[in-house]
Amino acid sequence: MSQIEKIETLKSLKNSIALGGGEDKIAKRHTEGKLSARERIDLLFDENSFVEVDAFIESRCFDFGMQKKKLAGDGVVTGYGTVNGRRVFVASQDFTVIGGSLGEMHAKKITKVMDMALKMGAPFLAINDSGGARIEEGLDALSGYGDIFYRNTLASGVIPQISVIMGPCAGGAVYSPAITDFIFMVENTSQMFITGPQVIKSVTGEDVTAETLGGANVHTAVSGVAHFKSASEQECIEDIKRLLSFLPDNNVSDTVYFGETDCANRSIKSLNEIIPEESNKPYDMYEIISQVVDNGDFFEIQSYFAQNMIIGFGRFNGKSVGIVANQPKVMAGSLDMNAADKAARFVRFCDAFNIPVVSLTDVPAFLPGVAQEHNGIIRHGAKLLYAFSEATVPKVNVILRKAYGGAYIAMNSKTIGCDMVLAWPSAEIAVMGPEGAANIIFKKDITASENPAETRKEKIAEYRDKFSNPYVAAARGYVDDVIEPSETRTRIILALEMLNTKRENRPAKKHGNIPL
Amino acid sequence: MSKYIIKVNGNPYEVEVEEVGVVSSNVTTATATKTTTKTIAPNVVKTTQPTSNSTGDVVAPMPGTVLKLKVALGDAVKKGQVLLILEAMKMENEIVSPADGKVAILNVEAGKSVTAGEVMVSIA
Repeated sequence: MSQIEKIETLKSLKNSIALGGGEDKIAKRHTEGKLSARERIDLLFDENSFVEVDAFIESRCFDFGMQKKKLAGDGVVTGYGTVNGRRVFVASQDFTVIGGSLGEMHAKKITKVMDMALKMGAPFLAINDSGGARIEEGLDALSGYGDIFYRNTLASGVIPQISVIMGPCAGGAVYSPAITDFIFMVENTSQMFITGPQVIKSVTGEDVTAETLGGANVHTAVSGVAHFKSASEQECIEDIKRLLSFLPDNNVSDTVYFGETDCANRSIKSLNEIIPEESNKPYDMYEIISQVVDNGDFFEIQSYFAQNMIIGFGRFNGKSVGIVANQPKVMAGSLDMNAADKAARFVRFCDAFNIPVVSLTDVPAFLPGVAQEHNGIIRHGAKLLYAFSEATVPKVNVILRKAYGGAYIAMNSKTIGCDMVLAWPSAEIAVMGPEGAANIIFKKDITASENPAETRKEKIAEYRDKFSNPYVAAARGYVDDVIEPSETRTRIILALEMLNTKRENRPAKKHGNIPL
Repeated sequence: MSKYIIKVNGNPYEVEVEEVGVVSSNVTTATATKTTTKTIAPNVVKTTQPTSNSTGDVVAPMPGTVLKLKVALGDAVKKGQVLLILEAMKMENEIVSPADGKVAILNVEAGKSVTAGEVMVSIA
């Protein structure tokens, strides 16, 4: 064979591998609203930036007639490229090659790019579209999952890891996404579950479709497993790019600086009037967030889950910041199990990647109720306290209105390590609400009174005047300053600039034991 | 109040500028007095308020008391429209419709106590 012929052979080999399971199978996917593994990569990466690794990998399995099958790339495309100029490593499963099933070599391809991402300190992105373990390969396939989970864990907190579900992701396969930082799903075309509808039917008798069991709506609103959902794969990939724009490459690299695109000294007069006169009237926290961040640009995470707690990324003076805020419009902004879990994991992500945390507090209490207690609000609420206490990144808290009891302490309070606590004049910072406190403190006065209802009312008013304000906390130094709402943006930026050089030493340990 | 350094013929002047619309206080400078107005329009992006589920059942998110009903049986409602006010956690919580449709079931009235998860209204 001449050298020219050898080069021609190489070209034809690469061409046939690039086709995956074949043109007809790819065409069929298009009718289902799904792209091929390589089309997804092309959409994600900057033009011509993708470099493939391990295209020639083949399965080593010779049982059950597997040697007769030619599997392009063993069902997964791996490599690296750039997204808006920044390096990202990727593994994209190819459903057209025996259902994207995961075999031994398929897993080896994935773990190789994971190792590369970890070594080079760049984000890793896994596009999941697989029927599950390749049964013919038995334990070797299963071990492949273990290898991936292990690396997901090693890379956790070192490089951002993003999972994208664009097809089935069932059984053990779900645990790789679950360990990673963010999960994207696409409506109607992606599902995640441990056991599918058929097994559930045979074991519990429950009738359920794949979509209602583990579709994008369920996981973004009910279970809280996934963080984002999109109407199409194209939209999903745009969302991924937007998320990446807020993230650093790894845990020691600097935050991406976007330049000063919005005035740092912008005074926001409308904030002076945003809090309703009565403290039992809700308002929309989104209005405050969108006004204080740069250019109103707020990228929300888990927007459908535990809506009483808002989390997401924004920028202050060009730098990424994680925002944690109570939403008075939903469940009065109280902390329940899901809200605590949601915020705690986000704070830990920010801390791992040196992204400062700004919290906006309006919290009446932890949510009372038998269901909350029996399902472990103690255990879940503790995560939020732990996460804020543990975080050594710059922490800023602005108390807008209610900050009562244990929930006040849990929401990034001074005593659990917040660096700068600011309060609006509307802040009510106290051990509990006036109604509850008056009932306890003035119990004797109220019962001894000739008109208990009237006395109770008076005492509530007395307590409210005396304690439901920011000045008691400010007098003790639990609040660093009471500010005019219109200057909130400026004061947050000033605090973050001051905290830029923050350094904090903690006792040496292997790792803490966060309540899970 | 924003601070600016303004150079006039090479001499730097520190100038504090206050935005208009406030009852003005004294504008002080080191050696010169000058006021400028600067307007920055905040580019406010309204974040869409997503609904919790796609089905038409509106359940109580937490235990509380129905304070006010804003709709009646058979009313046509729009997604996001306030159906009732639920007083809970000392807050008058607005409970909104998850979808466009008609009020098909109305299980509550003003003054009724509800438990978390109880179906209050159903939109069909």
